[in-house]
Amino acid sequence: MLGCQDFCGHYDWTFAFLRQQYGQQAVIDLWSQAIGGESQNHYHLAALEKGLKGLYHTWVATGEDEQCDWTFTLDEERNVLRCDMRQCPSKGFLLQNDRAADEDYCDHCAGWIIPLLAKTGHHITGHQHNHAGQCWFEMAKKDQPSQSPASFPDIRTDPRWQQGYLDSWQNNHKLPLLPEVCDAADACAVLAKWFERFDQLHVIGRGPSARLMEPSPDAAVLVTDPTYATQDVYAGSPAAVLFGDRPLPEMLTKCAQRFHATPPADRPLLLSAYLPRAHWPKWSSYNLPRPIPILPLLLREGLYTHQPHQPYPTTGTLLVLLAVALGKPTLATGIDLYQSGGDHAEPQPISEPHSLSCELTCLQQALLKSQGSLTLTGESHRLLRIGGSRED
Amino acid sequence: MSAPDFYFAINAIFRHIHDTHGRKALIHYWQHLGSEYYASRWQRWRDGGLPAIAADWKNYFEHEPGSEVDVTLEPHRVVLDIRTCPAIGHLRQHHKDIPDYFCEHCDYITTSMGQQSGHAFERTGGMGSCRQVFTPLTTSAGSITSPSSSPVES
Repeated sequence: MLGCQDFCGHYDWTFAFLRQQYGQQAVIDLWSQAIGGESQNHYHLAALEKGLKGLYHTWVATGEDEQCDWTFTLDEERNVLRCDMRQCPSKGFLLQNDRAADEDYCDHCAGWIIPLLAKTGHHITGHQHNHAGQCWFEMAKKDQPSQSPASFPDIRTDPRWQQGYLDSWQNNHKLPLLPEVCDAADACAVLAKWFERFDQLHVIGRGPSARLMEPSPDAAVLVTDPTYATQDVYAGSPAAVLFGDRPLPEMLTKCAQRFHATPPADRPLLLSAYLPRAHWPKWSSYNLPRPIPILPLLLREGLYTHQPHQPYPTTGTLLVLLAVALGKPTLATGIDLYQSGGDHAEPQPISEPHSLSCELTCLQQALLKSQGSLTLTGESHRLLRIGGSRED
Repeated sequence: MSAPDFYFAINAIFRHIHDTHGRKALIHYWQHLGSEYYASRWQRWRDGGLPAIAADWKNYFEHEPGSEVDVTLEPHRVVLDIRTCPAIGHLRQHHKDIPDYFCEHCDYITTSMGQQSGHAFERTGGMGSCRQVFTPLTTSAGSITSPSSSPVES
């Protein structure tokens, strides 16, 4: 049987399946109709009967059932029902069980709540989630003034709020993810817009072959956080920086120093994969803006499928996947898969949570998807040639 | 987190896919759920055979609120006697409309998992109580290494 114990896992998987099979609108319809329409009909009835108070009691009951670590605050005089979620059990299930099938699991809440409330004369006045298990909502009767409650335990003051990246809503509308770049709320669209001005990309990994070729002046250079921090294998100005799965505090600090010492127009786009098993830094404690997620684009383009408890790509290989997902001619140097000793006397073996097999599979997938527009060099090139790949 | 109201969502998702995309789409969804989402479970079945299947379902039903299930490991099969299906029980308790194809999700998901692990699946009964039987697809004596009949749970 399909049980409720791992519901959040197959719920997430279902979103990804429907997107792949029937397109983005199919998931929006599922949230709106199946969840907001049928499954959560008790919220609909409660809102019709007792308004915000009915919703309050229904959510409190759900919270006990699902063991949510949250606080709902009802202030009818101010026309507001507010939720401050300290640890979402649903997203928490995915993070704990290393699941990341869908582009944006957290969007499902707004996806069913907004259409359900609309049918009852209510709306979401504000909402944010950080994809790490923390969020807040404010709901109100439509067409009446609404204010935040007089007092509430604001999740935004919790240190955990500094993790992840923020999706934001105001009056039922999802807001731009990075307004200084474009007005898109979709991370994939932000990435496309950022790289729109470049005709070619140059991914620079951390292996010895990184130093073999100078980037073309016309190419957008993509590097990892240690390279941006230390400028050891590339001293120029990158267009984008991907933080690794376990960024060191000193690297984060150096990245922040360099980022803020750079004129805003010349700063790189900061990126993260936000994989479930990665360490999720508290960005603002390092004075860093929250990086843009790359996983949604990799999933949407079919370049990566996250397998729970299996090895996942290194940061350099993720950059190659990103470059191919962006559809630009790409040269990748320094993706040596730890097969060359570099500054060390002996080659470093790839260790958990990565594996050589995972790296080669991902790079082969990237080469196939790129249809000849990806050029690998160094050890990754050599190993894939041995394996009979089509990189030539 | 075993919140039984999630059965409402499961029921609604089945109906939505059926009514929006058609019966074939629903079956396709169930089959892929078995082979892809439950890959780690059928890999354990494949590696551990019938004892692994029995242990897996015993553990699974222990975490489904309201279930009353006997899991029996026999020499050549595993039998699940589902006296109270937790999903049907909860949906009925809350007067939810249950489509007549609801129980088929077990057939398609579990058959898909069994095909990957090398086991056949058969269900008799349904809509609240049923019997589910797992047998190895390979019936040569050498391929079966189960212990003698022993109830895993009663």
